[in-house]
Amino acid sequence: MAANPEKLKVVSQLSRRDILFGIARVPGTARVFLASSDAGVYVADLSQPKPDFKEIGKHKSYVTSVVLAGSSVVSGGYDGRLCWWDTQKLTQVRALDAHKKWIRKLAVSPDGRALASVADDMVCRLWDAASGKLLNELRGHTEKTPHHFSSMLYACAFSPNGKHLATGDKTGHIVVWETATGRQVTTLEAPVMYTWDPVQRVHSIGGIRSLAFSGDGALLAVGGMGKVGNIDHLEAKARVEVFDWQNGKRTAEFPGDKFTGLVERLEFHPKGDWLLAAGGAMDGFLMFLDLKAKKALKQEKVQTHVHDVALNEDRDTIYAACHGRVGVFSLKG
Amino acid sequence: MAVRRNNFCGSPEHAIDRRGFLGGVAAGAAGLAGLGVLAEPAVAAEMKKQQKRCILLWLAGGASQLETWDPKPGVETGGPFSAIPTSVPGVHISELMPKMAQRMKHTCLIRSLNTRNGDHNSGAQIMIRGRRDEPNLKYPDLGAVLARELGRADSQVPDYVAFYFATEGRGSAPGSAGFLGSRYAPMELYKSMMPENIVRHKDVSDGDHKDRAELRDLLSKQFARGRVSPTLASHNEAYQRVRGLMASDKLFDVTREPQTMRDLYGPTQFGEQVLVARRLIEAGVPFVRVSRAWWDSHGQNFETHQEMVPELDHVMAALLDDLGQRGLLEHTLIITLAEFGRTPQINPSLGRDHFASAWSCSLSGCGIKGGAVWGKSDQTGNRVVDGEIGAAQLFATIYSALGINPQKHYYVGSRPVPLTDPGTKPIKAVLA
Amino acid sequence: MLMGGNNRGRSLNDYLTRALKENRPWDRIFRDLVLPDENDPAKKGAGEFLRSRIMDLDRLTAEVSVVFFGVNVSCAQCHDHPKVDDWKQDHFYGMKAFFSRTFDNGGFLAEREYGEVRFKTTKGQEKLAKMMFLSGRAVDDPAGTRKPSGEEQRKEREQLEAAKRKRQPPPAPKFSARAKLVETALQPGQGDFFARAIVNRMWHRVFGHGLVMPLDQMHSANEPSHPELLQWLARDLVEHHYDLRRLVRGLVLSKAYSRSSRYPTGPAPRPDLFAVARVRPLTPMQLATSLRLATTDPSSLPASLKLEEFEKRIEQTENSARGFARDFEQPGDDFQVSVTEALLFSNSERMQRDVLADGGDRLVGRLKQIQETKVLVDVAMRNVLSRAATEEEQRLLGDYLKRRADRRVEACRQVVWALLTGSEFRFNY
Repeated sequence: MAANPEKLKVVSQLSRRDILFGIARVPGTARVFLASSDAGVYVADLSQPKPDFKEIGKHKSYVTSVVLAGSSVVSGGYDGRLCWWDTQKLTQVRALDAHKKWIRKLAVSPDGRALASVADDMVCRLWDAASGKLLNELRGHTEKTPHHFSSMLYACAFSPNGKHLATGDKTGHIVVWETATGRQVTTLEAPVMYTWDPVQRVHSIGGIRSLAFSGDGALLAVGGMGKVGNIDHLEAKARVEVFDWQNGKRTAEFPGDKFTGLVERLEFHPKGDWLLAAGGAMDGFLMFLDLKAKKALKQEKVQTHVHDVALNEDRDTIYAACHGRVGVFSLKG
Repeated sequence: MAVRRNNFCGSPEHAIDRRGFLGGVAAGAAGLAGLGVLAEPAVAAEMKKQQKRCILLWLAGGASQLETWDPKPGVETGGPFSAIPTSVPGVHISELMPKMAQRMKHTCLIRSLNTRNGDHNSGAQIMIRGRRDEPNLKYPDLGAVLARELGRADSQVPDYVAFYFATEGRGSAPGSAGFLGSRYAPMELYKSMMPENIVRHKDVSDGDHKDRAELRDLLSKQFARGRVSPTLASHNEAYQRVRGLMASDKLFDVTREPQTMRDLYGPTQFGEQVLVARRLIEAGVPFVRVSRAWWDSHGQNFETHQEMVPELDHVMAALLDDLGQRGLLEHTLIITLAEFGRTPQINPSLGRDHFASAWSCSLSGCGIKGGAVWGKSDQTGNRVVDGEIGAAQLFATIYSALGINPQKHYYVGSRPVPLTDPGTKPIKAVLA
Repeated sequence: MLMGGNNRGRSLNDYLTRALKENRPWDRIFRDLVLPDENDPAKKGAGEFLRSRIMDLDRLTAEVSVVFFGVNVSCAQCHDHPKVDDWKQDHFYGMKAFFSRTFDNGGFLAEREYGEVRFKTTKGQEKLAKMMFLSGRAVDDPAGTRKPSGEEQRKEREQLEAAKRKRQPPPAPKFSARAKLVETALQPGQGDFFARAIVNRMWHRVFGHGLVMPLDQMHSANEPSHPELLQWLARDLVEHHYDLRRLVRGLVLSKAYSRSSRYPTGPAPRPDLFAVARVRPLTPMQLATSLRLATTDPSSLPASLKLEEFEKRIEQTENSARGFARDFEQPGDDFQVSVTEALLFSNSERMQRDVLADGGDRLVGRLKQIQETKVLVDVAMRNVLSRAATEEEQRLLGDYLKRRADRRVEACRQVVWALLTGSEFRFNY
């Protein structure tokens, strides 16, 4: 039976003291690597009723992203470092000072060969996932916001065929790059995702926090939140915009009607059945969006802010990295 | 005559200058009329330079102590930022403040404020007045007290200028002269870099503006003959200050600064206002408050501080450098202060909430022992473990740094009211 | 003094205006305010005094003591008064106990028959506050420390909810602590506080300086400047049923009041001798209204206007002045005119284009049509300062106008400006 969002239910919720920002699953298993605010990278087998979280190594600050690349898992953090760890031996293979500022997100090309990292130095760096060799530097995001403050580069994602890579920044600027050459193919804008408050509070909030290409590579989904009234809080509705990026057209927008907060993670069902948007504010959410009907299929509250998810091959199990917990959800019919 | 109310810092290096200056005052007291003292250029220049001043950088909404002056890297509550060493061995501050880290020899940190009030309104009132109002007694705020203590009765510049452009929190702690009366109320700038009504109306020529003021004076003098009233006198004094204040419009004009100087402070609103504050201070304004709002990061604390702290770091460093080069830093106290700090606990919106139990502020420049650190919060930042102080001791320290006796009395009717609550002692360890 | 400086008090303002107009005795006003009957439409608004303060009992306690009894006990909230032997913590909490059972129930005042106030003494002991008036007279409390049963509480809640639904005041308690306060304060012997406070306040209002200063420091360590006079006036007030009009008439007809504010030779005598009248700054409303009236063309308010019409016009003027009044500060005892006010008068658009406008019904509009300078000066003087110009002023203002013959309208504006900004206009003298 195919994954059915209507059947969404909680399988387990494991409390932790830390904030989990990233999760990566070893194919064919329920074994996951986790990126933690305590600077550690953890491994755990979530098929166990009471999984043991084993720390395999440490960064110097929050670890914000983990991805699998061949026999390695790669972690990136606010210390600007990239660390390669052997998924079996759980030892460090390599560590690089990759960025001068916070690394926000990593992505691996579908063939596992290229690794992309984005950071607040506003550069996207492409690495040879196996050797750690720097392949290219992609510069297309301005360092300052229009209001003279440091900008941030939050999100990146590869297209399914690996030929393209998208990056998105705080001000709502998106660049699609050609992976092989580092050429800018196109730029898109989602300005609603960035709120600058010039009157009440004189600073900003928001940004593009998640990107995902559809299974056929034609669509690019962009996640964040809408315009915020009181920027002291994540109080705007969670927001997703979808672009036919090759034609520079926005084909759908989901301004959100139920949950407030940031869309931290987007994942298309490979056949296009739905688009999963996960994120949160004080609480978290999982939203399944129907692109054809342009409406939400299912929207479910999660006890706490969801920062990242990993899905299994059948797309019927969701492993979620959250604020103070790890959640497992089932979509089995 | 122009009698200055402030005291001198008393350090030996100023002894000679002080003698020279006091000579001038003595001569004035012996009969030099009116502005005679000011007419002596050497004394006047010295006086202007030695006058003590204060700039308050008011971090409205509550900046996080953990992302500024009291970082706790590596603990659960510490957040993602690291701590960096400063030019003072053993003192570390947040990595978001690399420029201030290099200038720590001018600055002391107080890491042990426990002010017990996590409400924006009442917290701000306490932190701007140094105490709580009584039902029938409104206390003057820091600016009003300093305007009175450091300003000159016949000043041609404002005594107390307050910038607050953001609208959020503006009403929480409006400048207030309390029982000192409106003579010491702030000139408040809310929307425009130029104070209200400081520029002559275009329908009135300069000559007529001056002449009609003289006509007014003549008529009012007739009325004042044989009538003695401080209030009546204040009416005429207020009008006598109008033309001088109007001439200070240039002080508010940031475009009169060379581009290099504007670049030094940066293009943000806060940067420009602090640059104007320096212009005002240099011209003899004793107190300027520049409010940078709004730090209330219940959501996205780290993004907010990543955005706002580097600006504070940059602007504050520019101000210290600039004042230093002008020889004004040792006479100018710079305070960073808020109504409270932020919780060590990080909420699921990656925010920090209101927290008044263990937070920090900084004092730089005049009267301060640079590099000193007072007080200590525990490992997680949840409570003060050493040197706990409240608003009263902080204010006593501020007054002392400016050479003002914190136990000096004002009189409200027949009731003596000390500047800070009876028995409050300044923190000597951070005073030069 | 009763309005608490906010806008909510419109209905209270209406009540007070009406009460003073019909010369309601001061003890009755006191009763209406502290013990309002919210069923009585004639006294509508009186309840606002308590309602607007009930959320903060400490403030209410302090303000009632200041306003009605001339006593500031707020220092005694935390400790026995350091300088004044009269005031102990027992006094503050004793007064508070009269109000602690009062609360807001859906916009109406309600009062329970039970409830206690406890406080910590400076020695750290917890103490139960007895209802006690400032004179030290304690009131027996039938409830004592009795706590109502669960059943009684449930019934009470139901009653309160029912009253809320019906938008009615809840039933009065059988024993009202507030009623006891009113009763005690007005008893012979205890009444000294009440009568002396209002006499002192009225004296202050008329003379600009109280017989006791400050007004909230009427205690044994702060003697009145004229003790017999204060005592006599207080006794007279009580004997004549707290007739405020009689009191004010007496003060205004006194020799002291008729004295000039000018003391021609030698150093001026101390203010508490009342040998010379005090100049007093206008209140914001007085100033704004006066500005409006002083710059209105006098011919638009002719003497032939019917009284009704005249009052209506004055009311309109007051209403239009309200906005401007917000720009001015309420003067206290040691009021100082701010430079902000001087700048506002000197350079604001409002002053130049509104107050000094030369339209049809405005003073400057009228002046610009007067050819003869002497007449012009006289009209301006009479309109702004309600008196004729002296010879010296005729010469001064006449010269000023003559030198600006090429810009007569502007010159008129400037002359009016100089009169409006002058101290004679700003002060009541």
